Amino acid sequence: MVNGGWVCLISPLVGFLAIMLAGTRITRRQAGIISTVSVFVGFAGAVVAFIDAWRRSPDDRTELTTAWTWLQAGQFKVGLELLVDPLSIVMMLVVTGIGGLIVLYSNGYMAGEDEERRYFAYMAFFVFSMLLLAESGNLLLLLAGWGLVGLASYLLIGFHHERPSAVAAAKKAFVMNAIGDAVMALAFFLTISHIGSLEYGTVFAAVDDGRLSDTVVTLLALGLLGGAVAKSAQIPLHTWLPDAMEGPTPVSALIHAATMVTAGVYLICRTHPVFEGAPDVQHLAALLGLATLLVAGVIALVQWDIKRVIAYSTMSQIGYMFLGAGIGAYGFAMFHLVTHAFFKALLFLAAGLVIHRLDGEQDIRKMGGLRRSMPYTHATFLIGSLALVGIPIFAGFWSKDAILASALAYGGGLGWVLYVGGLLGALLTGLYSFRLYYLVFHGEPAAEGHEAEHHGEGDRSMLVPVGVLAVGSTIVGFLAIPGVWEPFETWLEPVVEPLVTPSTTQEWATSAVAVALGVLGILLARRAFRAGRELVPDGAVRTTLEHKLWFDELYDALFERPGRAVAALLRDRVETPIVQGGLDEVAGETMRGATLTASVQSGLLRTYALAFTVAVGVLTLVFLVVR
Amino acid sequence: MNGPGIPWYLAISAILFSTGIAGVLLRRSPLIVLLSLEIMLNASNLAFVGFSRLFGHMDGQVFALAVMAVAAAEVCVGLGLIVAMARRNLDLDVDRMTELRG
Amino acid sequence: MLTTLLIVVPLAGAILTWMLPLSRESTAGFALLVALAEVGLWLGSARNFDFGSDAQQYSANREWFDQLGISYAVGLYGFQYWLVGLAVVVGACAVGYGAWVGRENARAYFGLLLFLVGALVGVFAAQDLIVFYVFFEAMLIPIYVLVGVWGGPQRLKATVTFVIYTMVGSLLMLASIIAFGISQGTFLLSEIGTSSNDWIFLGFLAAFAVKAPLFPFHGWLRLAYTEAPPEVGAILSGVVSKAAVFGLVWIVLPHFPEPVEDFRTLVLALAAGTLAYGSILAFRQPDIRGVVAYSSMAQMGLIVLGIFAVNDLGLDGAVLHSVNHGLVSAGFFLLAGMIETRTGTGRFSELGGMAKGRPVLATLVLTLGMFTLAVPGSTNFAGEFAILSGVFDRGWGYAAVGAAAMVLAALYALRMISAILHERRGAAVREDAGDLVGNELMLLVPLVAILAVLTAWPAGITDRSFPADGGAAFIASQEGVSTP
Repeated sequence: MVNGGWVCLISPLVGFLAIMLAGTRITRRQAGIISTVSVFVGFAGAVVAFIDAWRRSPDDRTELTTAWTWLQAGQFKVGLELLVDPLSIVMMLVVTGIGGLIVLYSNGYMAGEDEERRYFAYMAFFVFSMLLLAESGNLLLLLAGWGLVGLASYLLIGFHHERPSAVAAAKKAFVMNAIGDAVMALAFFLTISHIGSLEYGTVFAAVDDGRLSDTVVTLLALGLLGGAVAKSAQIPLHTWLPDAMEGPTPVSALIHAATMVTAGVYLICRTHPVFEGAPDVQHLAALLGLATLLVAGVIALVQWDIKRVIAYSTMSQIGYMFLGAGIGAYGFAMFHLVTHAFFKALLFLAAGLVIHRLDGEQDIRKMGGLRRSMPYTHATFLIGSLALVGIPIFAGFWSKDAILASALAYGGGLGWVLYVGGLLGALLTGLYSFRLYYLVFHGEPAAEGHEAEHHGEGDRSMLVPVGVLAVGSTIVGFLAIPGVWEPFETWLEPVVEPLVTPSTTQEWATSAVAVALGVLGILLARRAFRAGRELVPDGAVRTTLEHKLWFDELYDALFERPGRAVAALLRDRVETPIVQGGLDEVAGETMRGATLTASVQSGLLRTYALAFTVAVGVLTLVFLVVR
Repeated sequence: MNGPGIPWYLAISAILFSTGIAGVLLRRSPLIVLLSLEIMLNASNLAFVGFSRLFGHMDGQVFALAVMAVAAAEVCVGLGLIVAMARRNLDLDVDRMTELRG
Repeated sequence: MLTTLLIVVPLAGAILTWMLPLSRESTAGFALLVALAEVGLWLGSARNFDFGSDAQQYSANREWFDQLGISYAVGLYGFQYWLVGLAVVVGACAVGYGAWVGRENARAYFGLLLFLVGALVGVFAAQDLIVFYVFFEAMLIPIYVLVGVWGGPQRLKATVTFVIYTMVGSLLMLASIIAFGISQGTFLLSEIGTSSNDWIFLGFLAAFAVKAPLFPFHGWLRLAYTEAPPEVGAILSGVVSKAAVFGLVWIVLPHFPEPVEDFRTLVLALAAGTLAYGSILAFRQPDIRGVVAYSSMAQMGLIVLGIFAVNDLGLDGAVLHSVNHGLVSAGFFLLAGMIETRTGTGRFSELGGMAKGRPVLATLVLTLGMFTLAVPGSTNFAGEFAILSGVFDRGWGYAAVGAAAMVLAALYALRMISAILHERRGAAVREDAGDLVGNELMLLVPLVAILAVLTAWPAGITDRSFPADGGAAFIASQEGVSTP
């Protein structure tokens, strides 16, 4: 089990190092192959770990192993620990499985790009970092993985480094995530100062037996939530994700849809005892999730960039996961993470096919009518959209509705708010996803003449992963059929015991309402499209939405400009005049004094003699008088 | 122990010394300045010898001899400089010699 | 004996370099050979080094002036071993860089570099206050000359500023050393005991605050770092500043326990201020060296935070971070030099777009940049994390400043990376400005490789900095030898 975990972790790292060290000695194609193979070998490792765990009894599916001591100072000790348990195995399978497909897809998508080798190296590096995050056996190592995925994300968003917008987006993503990292680190300092350890087991035990006071637990949970919110692009640290779409499309699919951005959900599930020790923070997580899913949903209604629509939809779906994790429906949150990884990767990759065919065009106003010329893409994109909206049998139906049902089962004021909000989100999902679908695939082909016939729908290396993901998005939902067959929840139960379990009735009833709302959304989108109208009419509301609720402007005014001003002030008012200038002042005064003294030296011999004589006379007098 | 008492020696020494100082301060010719310096040195020599007689120590006389030797050396250098300056047709005026101004 | 050898080899090499009438190339080659031999010697000395023991390793002690109680005493503890290692490795890289560039007056130049390395090793190995002072001053002389003769256009001003600051600091320290040593009857660190005299403490503190530098004693920093030749800048920021680390850890903490206690808040506040101030200023610098200079200052503030936390985490973290920062900033100085040779400038407004077609350069700038901003998982992160979790015990405010500085570090490091590598080609970047070549890689790759190894295993240093029962206990045990 652990061996599988090691193979899974190390293989992408080896791939990364191999490509980096080989440099130009290998062709671009070989780099792609190395990267793909290394990730798939990692997948094999994950499968081995999974099978190994599957054959054991449910209570015996956790293994912790330490390779060596990573950091040690006095009593404080953190090992390079790998934790392989059902939860991390789920992440391993998703990351390497979907990651492998996306890297395979990249072979076709990125063909002909400059610096392709670098791209594939970074992809492998990302997979390694994400696995480190998922498999780490303590909080510090988790933070290490947490930072490294941020680094990989920075590198890949800024892959087209000659484009200023891409560089700016990459920096923004990194800095936002650095804020999250810093907040998490602060929480860890606090923990260390109280219990001197960052082991999962020790920390959780300390939460349970009260060695960590309520305040400390709350602060720790807040710190973890801060990191999770930044990484998962939840309000208020969400503004980087839409900009991150500057990266190549497969990057968006892998990092900004399927895996990295969902790490926050994984974090909450992994550290659920801490959150359960601080229920207020956990509820805050749920409420942030709700806010994000609604805000992102409405902003998605007015976006014109195909990738940005999907990006907002990602934020919205992660909002659902936060909502689920925030009320203790960990299993369902993780399940939605898995299904979302499938259908969102599918949507991105299918969108990538469209973009690829249109030579980089991303504006949906310039698309349309692609149904006929790209039937395969159309079919897969439709499957993805249906899964996203939560239409029965497709993956999203099972997972999203389960979260909503949990909110219903949670009850109380909070439960109802979350429930109603979540249902509203389902309506929004139907609206924005099918607005996108219709604008891209229906109607008349746009006049721009992008319909380049020179490359069919795409290279086989691109079509195969899309097909696999489409199949996955269709069937993976059957891993949790309420009341009938729930292997996914049973699998996770030994690690993360859910706080709420909706009854079968609640589940089916919620599903009925949610599906109805989803279908309503689809129909409204269709009607608007037929009538040639936008869903949100022009006006103040639309302007607000197009400005993404002015979050960027707000942060600019609140932090960036004052920050720059402070830096400039310190430089111009303190450093230059006082610290640097102070020295010049001293030197200047010395020089002035020297000039003054020097003027006494007239060079007139007789003046010197006179001065000498007078001085002697005065001294003589002084001696006489003093005597 | 005959002859005038120590006050006379000192008085003459003081007069000579003052003359010397006046010469150094008032005259502009380096030659005269040099001569005035010699007068000052000899004034101090006189004081040395006078005290030497008064206390019966030889130290003062030895010192006077040393001063003479130094004075001779000084005159050598000083006169040499003045001759060198005269040969180059420089002004023999101490007020014009301000090369060492700071 | 081995410690003495470590000090003598570069010094003897320096004298030989000055004396042997070799051509410019052979002088450089000879100096490089000596520097590499020194690295080999240092590596070799690890073999019998007992990191867990609380006995001095490879110590030597001879009476020098017995009337004054001065002895030639050198020896190594774990943390000193790492500082010495930093000095010899960065020193070798600097000599290599000088050889690659081909400096004028090669004999004088390489002699001075080797002399500097020897003096640095002496500083880090000193076990007697006078020996420490002698080497401390000895290392400044070659720096004055190296900056003043081979530096940039403003080198004279840089040198004068540097001289004034360091002299003031050194003289205060000398007064403290004399007062302390005379009052205790010995200058031997292992016997000198403790003192509660605030003035003596402040004298030491002044010297180290200038050397580190801490805000507001950093007036010399900007010019010295900008005007020095890159390889001298590398030693200056990477290694020379660590003399302050050594002094604080090994002179101030053990021998002035009471003043340390009394002034802790002041020093911690200064250090936190340095960290914040350096980070903010680094964000507004117009050129590479400016960013590296102020980020170095910030990192030194961080290290001092760790030292004055006076607990295991802080001390181990400070040692680890000293090594990290030394390697990173040395690497960046060399890199800045390489970029400057290609473009003739380090100003961001004229740079940009260098990633295109220069993959090796881009990779190295990125890698070192990521170490600079202490990306989680890197060894710099490990050091920073240990320091901040150590200082958290002394007040959460310091750790909060540190956490904010992590974000600021991301800002300035990314700004620098982008300004060098990304977007449109800068005015000073010629199309045919080449990628890094083999010789340059020979200098940078070892630095990065060491950082990579440390990233995989930072405990390699933290676990071997102080004897087995931890840094704080070890420092405290030094107080035990009290005065009569």
